[in-house]
Amino acid sequence: MLRLILQRLLALVPLLFIVSVLTFSFTSLLPSDPVDLILGDTGTEEQHEMLRERLGLNQPVHVRYMQWFGRAVQGDLGTSFFNSVSVMGAVMQRLPVTLSLTAVSAIIAIVVGVAAGIAAALRPRSWIDRFATLGATFGQAVPNFWFGLILAAIFAVNLRWFPATGFTPISDSPWDWLRSVILPSIALGTSSSAAIARQVRSAMVGVLQQDYIRAARAQGLSARRIVLKHALTNAMVPVVAVLSFQITVLLGGALVVEQVFAINGLGTLAIGAVRQQDIPMIQGLVLVMVALVVVVQLATDVIYGLLNPKARPS
Amino acid sequence: MSENVLLDIRDLDVTYHSRSLLGFGGRSFSAVKGASLSIRPGETLGLVGESGSGKSSIANTVLGLVPASGGSIRFGDVELTSMKTRYPAEVRGQIQAVFQDPYSSLNPSMTVEDIVTEPLRVHTSMTRAQRRERAIELLRLVSLSQEHLTRHPHQFSGGQRQRIAIASALALEPKLIVLDEPVSALDVSTQNQIINLLYERRDELGIAYLLIAHDLALVHHISDRIAVMYLGHIVEEGPSDRIYKAPAHPYTAALLEAVPLLDPDAQRKRRAARKMAPVPETPRLSVAGCPYRNRCPHAMARCEAETPPAYPIAGGGTANCFLHAGDASSEPELDKTTEHVAS
Amino acid sequence: MTGSSTTPPHGPRQPRRLLVASSLIATMATGVLVLLGLLAVFADVVAPYDPLRQNLIEALQWPSSSHWLGTDDLGRDVLSRLIHGSRIAVIAAAEGTAIAVLLGVPLGLFIGYRGGWWDWIVMRIVEAIVSIPGIMVAIVIIAILGPGLHKAMIALGILYSTSFLRLARGVVLAEREEVYVRSARVIGASDSRILLRHILPNIAPPLIVQVTLTVGAVLLSEAGLSFIGLGVQPPDASWGTMLNSAAAFMDLNWFLAIPPGIAIIVTVLAVNLLGDVIRDSIGRGVAIAAKPEATPTHSGKPAPAAVAEPVVLPRLKNEVLRVENLEVMVGSGAGLPIITDLSFSIAKGETLGLVGESGSGKTMTGLAVLGLMGAGLRTTHGSIVLNGRELRSLSQKQMEAVRGNEVAMVFQDPTTSLNPAFTVGSQIAEVLRSKQGLSQKQAWARTVELIDRVGIPRAEERARAYPHELSGGMAQRIAIARALSCNPSLLIADEPTTALDVTVQQEILDLFRDLQGEFGMAILFVTHDLAVAADICDRISVMYAGEMVEMAGVDTLFSAPLHPYTRGLLEAMPHASDRNPPLPTIRGSVPRPGSWPTGCRFSNRCDFRIKGCEQRIPLTGTDRLVRCIRADELALEAAQ
Repeated sequence: MLRLILQRLLALVPLLFIVSVLTFSFTSLLPSDPVDLILGDTGTEEQHEMLRERLGLNQPVHVRYMQWFGRAVQGDLGTSFFNSVSVMGAVMQRLPVTLSLTAVSAIIAIVVGVAAGIAAALRPRSWIDRFATLGATFGQAVPNFWFGLILAAIFAVNLRWFPATGFTPISDSPWDWLRSVILPSIALGTSSSAAIARQVRSAMVGVLQQDYIRAARAQGLSARRIVLKHALTNAMVPVVAVLSFQITVLLGGALVVEQVFAINGLGTLAIGAVRQQDIPMIQGLVLVMVALVVVVQLATDVIYGLLNPKARPS
Repeated sequence: MSENVLLDIRDLDVTYHSRSLLGFGGRSFSAVKGASLSIRPGETLGLVGESGSGKSSIANTVLGLVPASGGSIRFGDVELTSMKTRYPAEVRGQIQAVFQDPYSSLNPSMTVEDIVTEPLRVHTSMTRAQRRERAIELLRLVSLSQEHLTRHPHQFSGGQRQRIAIASALALEPKLIVLDEPVSALDVSTQNQIINLLYERRDELGIAYLLIAHDLALVHHISDRIAVMYLGHIVEEGPSDRIYKAPAHPYTAALLEAVPLLDPDAQRKRRAARKMAPVPETPRLSVAGCPYRNRCPHAMARCEAETPPAYPIAGGGTANCFLHAGDASSEPELDKTTEHVAS
Repeated sequence: MTGSSTTPPHGPRQPRRLLVASSLIATMATGVLVLLGLLAVFADVVAPYDPLRQNLIEALQWPSSSHWLGTDDLGRDVLSRLIHGSRIAVIAAAEGTAIAVLLGVPLGLFIGYRGGWWDWIVMRIVEAIVSIPGIMVAIVIIAILGPGLHKAMIALGILYSTSFLRLARGVVLAEREEVYVRSARVIGASDSRILLRHILPNIAPPLIVQVTLTVGAVLLSEAGLSFIGLGVQPPDASWGTMLNSAAAFMDLNWFLAIPPGIAIIVTVLAVNLLGDVIRDSIGRGVAIAAKPEATPTHSGKPAPAAVAEPVVLPRLKNEVLRVENLEVMVGSGAGLPIITDLSFSIAKGETLGLVGESGSGKTMTGLAVLGLMGAGLRTTHGSIVLNGRELRSLSQKQMEAVRGNEVAMVFQDPTTSLNPAFTVGSQIAEVLRSKQGLSQKQAWARTVELIDRVGIPRAEERARAYPHELSGGMAQRIAIARALSCNPSLLIADEPTTALDVTVQQEILDLFRDLQGEFGMAILFVTHDLAVAADICDRISVMYAGEMVEMAGVDTLFSAPLHPYTRGLLEAMPHASDRNPPLPTIRGSVPRPGSWPTGCRFSNRCDFRIKGCEQRIPLTGTDRLVRCIRADELALEAAQ
């Protein structure tokens, strides 16, 4: 078990490294000169030079990368070009907001998706299957932000069951926190639950045709036991891989859906940073998101190893 | 004699490396160790062994699909092992192959005409019309007809697909065809049709075959000589009839023994003489000694320490077994009766 | 003679109704997309107003006869903007998808075929991109390029190229291992030729599906980017920017959000549904191509009437299983017969061989006894009596109790008939616990005992192994131990040694004999190999094209076969003779269900055919049975 985790961790090192190189080099491609952006046309040539030096921009790219990376490893992602706040601080302040949306929507997506997928697979071509398949097809065609708008219009503006905008931290009131995230999370989780349901269905249908399922039936094991133990364990193997991808998708979706509900999360931060070409902020945001994804991937990898003996290190 | 050898394999080693996650470390697995074989023009050599014996690795190495890790393969005057898997065109055209599974060996998106004439397109500058003419001729050689040209592989039965594969292999009039289990995926009633076809074309066109199979009886029908492999080693080699009727290596004898007889009464007697033994562990290939020693009823102390060399056998051929370390002219001391008693 | 005429347009499991439904969906989806394309091209002509013309007096109007879909916050006509938005949607989808394909496919093909460091580096970069949320990747790229439709589409193109890259690479890696690619290399085709001529055509089906998925995803992402203000810039009309302005005025006029939303949903739905239909039809094509004999046909011929022959089967002492006039059909409606009029019986401690080639129905017979034939197949006639009880009348629940306890099965491929996720010991123990109510501890002790009994050394240790850690022979021993764990009175063995080496086969056959001596079960041994049957069976029933053609004691069958098919099969066995070719053959090939000749089903391959063979031939005899009208004559001829 420990070996599995260590092995996976080791495999993630090159990933984090490459992401950091990619983000750093991409952001150095930004068309505008940050010094011009900050000082505008106002500063003198000397002021420009001084700022350049202070920001370390007169050094070669690889040196800048090493410095940035060295600090990033210690948790220092630099300072925003514009309001002099620390990037880490700004990101950490918004992180719980986006994380709340991602987590709640992931739970909704997984619970609904897996249940619907199994139900559909067990009775191919029954009304359950048709309904689930239809729902899944629809779910994948609906833009999450539009669905959020409609949900807000009905349940917040009209019925006033939930707040239409804003976010309550969980530490303030867990109940209000849930009320504030439930609509955006449903809007966000629907298309993922549809994708997961399709995956679960096809994996289950595939597994149910395997020899070992037929052998288990020939052995007279109960249908319930065969489905829940023998089939589901194997069907979850490909599904787990999809889950980690879907959580990444949810994290990205949260950035957009936040805008619908005027929730001040990472999305708002990112859009602002892009508009202002705030390089350290963009770099920091990407790195933090990748770190989140990496944690999710690690977790799914470990679950994958638990489900699939062949994936375990011998 | 040596100038009249078409394919000459000397001390061939084939080793596979599995790379680990980060690209370093990893394990290596030795599939063939020190194998020597030769085939004369127009001759058929049967290469027999069970799964994991390394027979397919030899086939793939000869075909240039897998590089050799040691030893040499000479085809006519050309040394092949030094070129790894990049054979020159004139050699490529001379060595063709027919593989086991007729369902995956034909490209599903190509028509029969495309499949059969693909070698011509690669190696010759024939015009489209010439190629079509040749394709019709080739189909006739394998008892198919012109009407089949435009069809796709999935429209044929297993036996017919294997005929198409043979037609494609014959297209360049090669000197050697490697047949890798050519009939084992077919129904019993169609197997012999393919065997007969291969036999007739060989005699007509003077092609040499390297026939890879697990069934000694089947190989015996069309081979001039047979080589038997066990765990990457060639343990016995010799004229087809001698191997089939008077096997010299205990493994060859066991292989023949294991095939049930079509006579239930004889089979009953044979079974009665046999005792059930627990399954022994097989040794790793890298360890010295006879690869068969753990299963061999005649194993001696010497078999643990040294790898037996090839000893000449009366009636032709060699066996890598210390039982034959004595006089080459003496009768092989191993016949079926002594084997039963010993086991 | 070839399958061309009999290749069915659809498999038997696909009811016609569903096909009609899917073609209806395809038509509708295509219709929607064609309409969209037309609107995009003729937007200027079709739209009632200029989409950019503002009229602040008429702002935020609800639908009316002059503005069918109302007006937006600047008084612009929503319908006109919607129509012009379709132009942007089409451009966006085409541009984004084209960039993704052109970037991803060649690179994926290249690294997949080349492998090595190229592959490693590119794949790590792709993994890195994929591990960043897609919208964030797009946002970063837009930060570099600046906002706007075309720049956003370049961003999305780069983003989605990763999925095409992985698809192309995956196809190459999979196809590269295919035998036909090996054949092409043997022929001497160059790398680029193999890639372009042999591998590329096979990428088309998954590529088409991926394109439809990407078009949908690009449409959604474009809307999303425009919604947050990074895609199409106002005042241009795109569905995303329309939603952006709608969002600001939700409390004043919520209807503004409806038309663009519906437009997006309908378009994406059409694209996805079309993709589904394409994928399904491709899937069917592949299935047919891979296994022609697995897809029986609905040829014009009506199914033979189920007229039961009088059963000539004598009653055995200690009879365990008795099957009479069994008929199995495949497919809906009248169905297609797979097995007809099959009768046999097995006594305690006896082994009956069921011998035949592919398509003879021998495997299906075993599954029919267990009631496990799978979807689309059903027994339509006859009786299956096990230990005096008619199995066909039992409920699912009752049948579950019979399986394992009274009848068990060993399958052909031991490595796939054991569940890969659990240890082999736990799979035996599970049966003992759920069927015999043993405690965890008792079950485990008995499991180790059984594993030891089937000749596996170090049983305790091996019980904790996973199936993939065992050799084929070992795994088959485990499967046998599991099948015998509840001491069933009948064991069905379906080609249990076919996947194994001959020396291992011999060990397993010996094990069957040995265990039968101890447990006393009856064995129904299904095999294609007459020599194996000669070794293990007491009696043999030869099957051909869904019916029994001959049944006799093992010695009689081999010394004096009566049916021409049995004879042909015996002569064709590799070790039947040691002469050089030409070896004896049976001409033609085994007919598939649905193309069986009327009358004697072997008649089109038989050398002894006479006029009378065109009638239905009954099974005759008492002790030994044969289905041939010339059996007596041929027996005499053979005896001479």
